[in-house]
Amino acid sequence: MTLEVALKVFRYKAGQPARYDTFRVRVPHTASVLDAIEAAWAQHDRSLTFRHACHHASCGSCAMRIDGREKLPCITPVRDVWRGRGDLRIEPLRNFPIVSDLVVDVSGFFQRMSTSGMVITRTAESYLPVAAGAADGRPRDARSVTLPEGVARVNRFENCIECGICISACPTMAASDKFMGPAALAGIYRARLEAPDEAESTRLLGFADGEHGVWRCHSGWECTEACPQGVDPAGAIMLLRRDLVKHRIRKLFGR
Amino acid sequence: MEDLSEQKPAPTTAWLWQALTGVGLIVLLALHMMTQHFIAEGGIRDFAGVADYLRNPIVVLLELLFLVTVTAHALLGVRSILFDLGLSARAETTVSRALLVVGILTVAYGMWLTWTITQQI
Amino acid sequence: MATQLQSSRLRRTAQWADVRRRGMGMWAYTLNRVTGIGLLVYLYLHLVVLSMLAGGPDMWDPFVNLARSPLFLALDVILIAGWLIHGLNGIRVTLTGLGFGTRSQKSLFVGLMLIAGIGTVVMGIMVFGS
Repeated sequence: MTLEVALKVFRYKAGQPARYDTFRVRVPHTASVLDAIEAAWAQHDRSLTFRHACHHASCGSCAMRIDGREKLPCITPVRDVWRGRGDLRIEPLRNFPIVSDLVVDVSGFFQRMSTSGMVITRTAESYLPVAAGAADGRPRDARSVTLPEGVARVNRFENCIECGICISACPTMAASDKFMGPAALAGIYRARLEAPDEAESTRLLGFADGEHGVWRCHSGWECTEACPQGVDPAGAIMLLRRDLVKHRIRKLFGR
Repeated sequence: MEDLSEQKPAPTTAWLWQALTGVGLIVLLALHMMTQHFIAEGGIRDFAGVADYLRNPIVVLLELLFLVTVTAHALLGVRSILFDLGLSARAETTVSRALLVVGILTVAYGMWLTWTITQQI
Repeated sequence: MATQLQSSRLRRTAQWADVRRRGMGMWAYTLNRVTGIGLLVYLYLHLVVLSMLAGGPDMWDPFVNLARSPLFLALDVILIAGWLIHGLNGIRVTLTGLGFGTRSQKSLFVGLMLIAGIGTVVMGIMVFGS
């Protein structure tokens, strides 16, 4: 079974005004939006530029907006976002400069991510606690993991694939070029959990402070809403704030 | 413990004041609404009513406290909106100072007005 | 590097106001900011209007009559709605902003706005009744 979908794709090449092109493609009914975009490229216009690599939501390269909402097209079935009528709007992420068509400049994004000093790519990890009763520390079932001694649970911020979707969804990122952004702040939170000592933890907390750190977040929660990996950057920002307030109050009392 | 941020006012502090004045307003605004509209006859005081109301020094104190709190909260809010624009550090300091001046002038105005009214009794 | 395209500064600055295809959190944020700006405008308007008190009863009392008109009362109800929304959501922002109740932030918003709605109706009745 196939379906014929009309993609309305944002186009931009240097020196030309931006426009939308409509491509009609026939794809299997199980096709992802990325499949449809690739079909448009292959069958209609080889100058259509877009990023894609792993095709299974672990590299974060293909992030874009589908019908106005940030998504990873590689794991978004066409049937989920297109009701069989009208065009399916395909646009690049917001809040990044556009290089060409659906490709955006992510260099600033990665610069901010490197603030936390974390290794850029990690595979997703389970955050489930060590299974109770597994006295020898070995996992009781396939889903739980063995955690280091003294660690009861690991939170999911490791799941970040640096796709930039949260940046696109964030209303503050739109207005300010200086805001660190949800991904970098979530990265700082995660890095603090692994900090070797108090001094490093406090140093990282300092990055999260500042007028362009956590305090520029206005609780839109769009980042958490849009994140395809369940990282919950907004939750991380709120917990960083709690630590900052605690720090501030302790300082008030001279401790 | 060292300062996490060199900026004055420290960003954490600004947010804290925003939150604290906000919570304070829940009480102070409720008080203001009740005494000015729901208790006052006809829902709003005529001049004689206002003068009478301001005779009580505790009332004056509370209304002044309300003015300070609401002005602080409002101007901190303006500061927050402006800072969203990603201003330079210098511009941020200028904005903070300017808003502080506006705040002081606002409260000064309130104090002047109160004094003027009580002078006319 | 080839020229890059970016939305206009104005568009980017105003993006917080665009709630199309946005979640509940964005609605809360936008509502809070809009009511906040509205209340700010009201605050200074109110302070300016109060200057009429400096002119004594001759200046103030005619205004009192105007302030009792149905139009003014209706505006008062809008004001009440404004600070109920802003205040109740502000409590939510303060709580979640410190990491409390983050998982229920959406239902918290709905619940608080319902209270704001009820409060507006109740106080509206009180305003028109007095």
